[in-house]
Amino acid sequence: MMFEHDDKRFDEWLQDAARDYHRPPETPRDAMWARIALERQRRGERRVIELRPWVRWTLAAAAVLALGIGIGRWTAHPETTDSAGGSDVVYQVAATQYLSRTEAFLTDFRADLRAGRTDARLAGQARDLLTTTRLMLDSPAADDPHRRALLEDLELVLVQISQLDAGRGGARDADLITQGMDQRNVLPKLRSAIPSGPMPVRTEGAL
Amino acid sequence: MDERDLINRVRAGDGVAERALYDAHVDRVYRLAYRLAGDDGLAQEFTQETFIRVFERLDTFRGDSALSTWLYAITTSVVLNGLRKVKRFRQREADLDDAHGVGLARREAEPDLKIRLRRAIDALPEGYRTVFVMHDVEGYTHEEIGAALGVETGTSKAQLSRARAKLREALADFAGEWVS
Repeated sequence: MMFEHDDKRFDEWLQDAARDYHRPPETPRDAMWARIALERQRRGERRVIELRPWVRWTLAAAAVLALGIGIGRWTAHPETTDSAGGSDVVYQVAATQYLSRTEAFLTDFRADLRAGRTDARLAGQARDLLTTTRLMLDSPAADDPHRRALLEDLELVLVQISQLDAGRGGARDADLITQGMDQRNVLPKLRSAIPSGPMPVRTEGAL
Repeated sequence: MDERDLINRVRAGDGVAERALYDAHVDRVYRLAYRLAGDDGLAQEFTQETFIRVFERLDTFRGDSALSTWLYAITTSVVLNGLRKVKRFRQREADLDDAHGVGLARREAEPDLKIRLRRAIDALPEGYRTVFVMHDVEGYTHEEIGAALGVETGTSKAQLSRARAKLREALADFAGEWVS
């Protein structure tokens, strides 16, 4: 009985004391509403936008991934391994194309920063690549733990770039992103994950 | 305006109704996000993503439950998935720091009870911590928690009980504070 009494006291004390746990400040309603409206507008625009080169590449990579899933399912025979090998190759091609595009984008991003340019185009391109990154993370291309770790790093970098606001502290935020990339060796790891040679050579013989 | 009218107006693209829906729920969403994340930037990001999804998916809301129930299910999904990503990222950074021998020295245990309590709550398993924060800190009912997390009410109660037991154990050396 004594213990039960103590438990009840503890629960009462706990509920009172825990009110200070991560006590939130006043809700920044208007600031969040403005960002929600902006983001919804951007996402809406993306749905009707013409096929820019980056969008085309994203759609192409997504299509190759979908093709891989289709081949995998269509040719799936538990007693053989050939069909699994076939879809693996398709994922491999999609991953190589995606990693090459991302490397090109991040290299451009750094070059733009050095030249003092941070514009809304970067955020748009990052969002397009982010879509493919998430598709990759949900595909067998991410089964390899090293590639998964790289994809998760890229996802975080792309999320940060996609939220860059060129007008409000964009340059400082961009510097922080590049510092983070350097600390985690994102670009060297990305480059080492891509087979050497130009794009046709990287995927040569795969299909 | 009742909830059904509000939903119908939002579905029809009425901007004033969208803002009214946002105003009606944003405090609880932001508070829960902040309590779970412990970081204003993350809490704002999770709140924004929650409402973007709410507006995108409102057509799929069937009205079987209260709008708030559906909305808190989206909130917990966004927050918990977001926190898992942040945790994985921070863990890898910590591993990297350890590998390079530049990790910060572990701080000595703080004697202050509230700091110990905060750390003990932070250290709870995700399911226990979520239920504890929702129920004991933010005042959600077990029915609301069950609906938001997709678990039975009994599971919510059991997890709260285990969370409290773990906290009691973690704070055992401060027993006099609540017994007296």
